[in-house]
Amino acid sequence: MSAFIHHLSYDFKSGIRDKGKLLMSYLFPLVFFALAGSLMTAVNPFFKETALPGMIIFALMSSALLSFPNGIVTAREQGVFRSYCINGVPVVSVLVIPVIGGAVHMAIVSTIISFGGAGLFGGAAPSNIPGFIAAGILSYAAFAGMGILIGTAAAKDTAATLLAQVIYIPSIMLGGLMMPLSMLPEGFRRMSLLLPSTHAMKAFTGLGGMPAGSPIPWLSIGVLAASTVLDFGLAAWIFQWDPRATTPSKKAFAALLGILPFAAAVMIGFGT
Amino acid sequence: MNDVIVSVKDFRKRYGETVAVDGITFDVRRGEIFALLGPNGSGKTSTLESLEGLRKPDGGSLSVSGIDPSRQPRKLAGVIGVQLQASALPPAMTVNEAMKFFCSYHGVAVRNDLIERLGLSEKRSEQYGRLSVGQQRRLALVMAAAHKPAVLFLDEPTAGLDVQSRTELHALVGELKRAGTTVLLATHDMAEAEKLADRAAILLKGRIAALGSPRQLTAAGRRKTRISVATENARLKEPGPSFPEARFEGAADGYAMFISDNPGRTVSAILAWLEQNNDPLIDLRVERPSLEERFLELTSADTSKGAAK
Repeated sequence: MSAFIHHLSYDFKSGIRDKGKLLMSYLFPLVFFALAGSLMTAVNPFFKETALPGMIIFALMSSALLSFPNGIVTAREQGVFRSYCINGVPVVSVLVIPVIGGAVHMAIVSTIISFGGAGLFGGAAPSNIPGFIAAGILSYAAFAGMGILIGTAAAKDTAATLLAQVIYIPSIMLGGLMMPLSMLPEGFRRMSLLLPSTHAMKAFTGLGGMPAGSPIPWLSIGVLAASTVLDFGLAAWIFQWDPRATTPSKKAFAALLGILPFAAAVMIGFGT
Repeated sequence: MNDVIVSVKDFRKRYGETVAVDGITFDVRRGEIFALLGPNGSGKTSTLESLEGLRKPDGGSLSVSGIDPSRQPRKLAGVIGVQLQASALPPAMTVNEAMKFFCSYHGVAVRNDLIERLGLSEKRSEQYGRLSVGQQRRLALVMAAAHKPAVLFLDEPTAGLDVQSRTELHALVGELKRAGTTVLLATHDMAEAEKLADRAAILLKGRIAALGSPRQLTAAGRRKTRISVATENARLKEPGPSFPEARFEGAADGYAMFISDNPGRTVSAILAWLEQNNDPLIDLRVERPSLEERFLELTSADTSKGAAK
């Protein structure tokens, strides 16, 4: 337990010392919050309905998808994981502790966005605060699982960045962050079920009791939960301590299985 | 002293088509310092890293303190300490945090004595990324030895160290050995191996070319013992006297030099001759072939063989 606490304590502090992590956890989402809050609420009156979850999801995605994958690849490339391996640090600590450390930063950012968004920009507030928080935890876990899986599967920094962007950019455009999902054309709405941000938005608005939400978005809750379990499981299986251990691992292709819960959501097409 | 703690049997390791280690066998006895020597690409690091559980063997068997490194890595971490050639800590981690972090995973108290011993006391709050290469290597050694492992693996331990740190490290390794720690050392530095190691294996192209104590290894070479003699009247010069089992090699800096197959007999004969010829001795040096010379002999023979093919 002492090792876990020392590891977690270091990870939290490194999130503040490391300029890259600081940028992705605080600066980037809060600047987006300020810009989107002042501009989007002026040009798009519907934005106020989903402004809070939209900006929180943006922060969660930025932290998880733009920070974790490259962090893992870099640590593996630099030999940090080799040091961990020979000193008996378990794989689960390597994969889970950064997620817990990041969750503390995300809780701070989400609180700023929630109060600031409602107070400064007139964003609709959730009527069910515990449900809203539960949606935040579930969404963060799912995004973090994806970030960790991309980091363990990608052989190089560039591959990690590319894979993360494949999820990140469409998630912003089509995941209900910029405009309500109901405004998307039917085809795009169905395709948007492939994106984690779509399910995160449904979870936030539904569980938070917001005007734009459906009563209980079971499909999205199930997809996010299944994705979290699957991604962390796959990441633990694919994980390599040493960049030079073998030729590129065939196991890495198993990371594609992480798309299964989202593909299932498209097939079911529930709630579109 | 004779019980085996590290066992390597017919160990093989490949990377794609490249054979890094080609069926080597050796044992390391409890409490000894064993050196793996060899040029780049000879298989030293592959052997060490497989024993450390970082790589899986492609053939043969490995055992460290009765543990199979590739099957029981967590159990292995408790009995080994490792200073890797290529490893790092997170750049933002301070020396103090690194000690707390790794000591807590090993379940031991922070070893402030080792931090002081290796001159890192003033760097406790410094981040790893801001330490010099030498300081990083010293910190790696502190962490490797902190939990008092039964077997300590050192891969090029003095690379990048200044003379003082190197001397300190050698002293520390000596102390660890006296405390019963077994040390497996991979190095390019023959003088270091000769000074520290009880036994050494010279690896060439993934195979063991020679194995034994440094004295046995050098004795097995073709190079003979060099005897250098300086006298007041400098009468030992060519054409001069001949001595049993020795030949005159030349003179330089006031010394006459002989190469001998039997240095004991040659030295006795030289001293007797100087006495008879009233040429008082100023200095006499007997230099046996160094491990480095033996190593170069083996590597050059290997290169010649390769060229002949």
